[in-house]
Amino acid sequence: MIPVFEWVRVTEIRELAEKTYVIGFEEPRSAAQLLPGQFCMISPAPGTSSVYIPRPFSYYRTSGNRIEILFRTFGRATRWMAHLSAGDRIGVFGPLGNAFSLQPQSARAILAGGGIGLPPLALLAGRLAEADTALEVDLVYGETEGSRVVNLEGVLPGTVRLHLATEDGAVGRKGQVTDLLSDLIASCDGRPALYTCGPKAMLAAVSRMIDPARVTLFEASCEEHMACGKGICQGCVIPVKAPGNQTRYVRCCTEGPVFNGFEVKWETG
Amino acid sequence: MGDRLKVHALGLEFQNPVLVASGTFGYGDEYWEVMPFSRFGALVTKTITANPREGNPPPRIVETDSGMLNSIGLANVGLEKFLEEKLPWIAGHAGNSRVIVNVAGFSTEEFVQVAAAVGGRPEVDAIEVNLGCPNVKAGYIHFGADPESIRRVIAGIRQNIKVPLVAKLTPNVTDIAALAEAAVDAGADCLSLINTLPGMKIDIKRRRPVLAMGFGGLSGPAVRPVGVACVYKVFQQLVRMQAPVPIIGIGGITSAADALEYVMAGASLVQVGTHNFVHPQAAGLVIDELEEYCNSQNIRITDLVGCAHER
Repeated sequence: MIPVFEWVRVTEIRELAEKTYVIGFEEPRSAAQLLPGQFCMISPAPGTSSVYIPRPFSYYRTSGNRIEILFRTFGRATRWMAHLSAGDRIGVFGPLGNAFSLQPQSARAILAGGGIGLPPLALLAGRLAEADTALEVDLVYGETEGSRVVNLEGVLPGTVRLHLATEDGAVGRKGQVTDLLSDLIASCDGRPALYTCGPKAMLAAVSRMIDPARVTLFEASCEEHMACGKGICQGCVIPVKAPGNQTRYVRCCTEGPVFNGFEVKWETG
Repeated sequence: MGDRLKVHALGLEFQNPVLVASGTFGYGDEYWEVMPFSRFGALVTKTITANPREGNPPPRIVETDSGMLNSIGLANVGLEKFLEEKLPWIAGHAGNSRVIVNVAGFSTEEFVQVAAAVGGRPEVDAIEVNLGCPNVKAGYIHFGADPESIRRVIAGIRQNIKVPLVAKLTPNVTDIAALAEAAVDAGADCLSLINTLPGMKIDIKRRRPVLAMGFGGLSGPAVRPVGVACVYKVFQQLVRMQAPVPIIGIGGITSAADALEYVMAGASLVQVGTHNFVHPQAAGLVIDELEEYCNSQNIRITDLVGCAHER
């Protein structure tokens, strides 16, 4: 899969929930080949922003030539993006990185997304459900506040079961995404496949909670400060287990962003 | 491409004056499908050390205004793997691009060992010696900031290799001209400058430095005026010394206009660095723009070297 760098025009930008936006653009070559879990680097057109280094975003939705990214304002780059308008030019470099496995090796796939970890899992849920109509797909989605919950109606295929948790209890079950996930896994007869994305603390909690013998796979999409997105700058390393209780650094952009959750050293680095 | 961009330096012909800076184009293979380095004047590889290095803990990079801080810690595949796997691939794809290997060590002996092993390979056109990466412990920066240490390392390498030697200088000194003088006296064929500047960003929510190592090296457009000033100063020093040693200008180049500032300050060649991360085709675009500029002015790029010094 060969990534493409393109200047594209924003076709649409909408606020979907508090601080949470979807931005759309057309990039046919990426749209045709991208896989759930992969990401693109987004950068401002020269002279349009003081943001300098591109930022990585997982793909959220695609249809035809169209690509959508879901993002939440957090720092200067996402605030710049939130102020974009239809017609504005942005740089897009992708698809980059590896992808979630589309072979869950199970009759059931459980996807757990915390906060802005949702986008790659929403894309994955759709692809998994399309690829195997007999597969049971559960998407567990948690937010701190109800005001941040993204309405997934029309985004997920009807066969995907959505389980919602908010810490303020405004929508769905009151609690954390890990509470819901723990109950769901406990109620499973067989061994489900587990896919996750979210804040590092959530991924660490999930990894502590999961018995490797109880799942067919545990894939986690990670995030780290990134500059090139293509394995050059070595900026985005993630600590993973190495023989002899050692730590090895692997590049989130190239060896990831999707990692075997049992191999990441969540408490390090 | 016409001849307007050709540069003869280090006894080599460069098809154009645009190189990519060490650490910003890896080993050439990562960006190959998007930006083949065979179009460049030269590929400068990631710094190679004797042993493989994992590098520093994350976070290793953070954006700052018009730039970024990095604290990678010279993560690299190590000499053996570089020579066995990376170098043959680079040589097989270089085309008309020159191949420059950046080397470093934690002692004079290691510098000499790595440089001699790399310099002995026929695929290598030149060696660039990293005299001042700010991101490794044990006072490495003081090493690159001390003219006597530079003299020792460059002279040691010079005795052991025949290929042209580029000394990459740190700007983190009171007088970079003194470093230039030491490197040239010891036998450097060329000087490249500047390496990054030490910087820090503090996360005011966590009340701690953002980077795990605290300090990082600042690069990007923010450092360009520092780089241009250093090149200007070193050019004057070389004139005083009557040393016909070419300079490679580095620091914050994003366009032909930026590259021209360095050339006019005295650089014969330039390196595009951090901007490769912003736009993987940046160096190719700088080449295109420089050619357009030279055509429109009806000049060769070499006509402009050091022209800002003319009165």
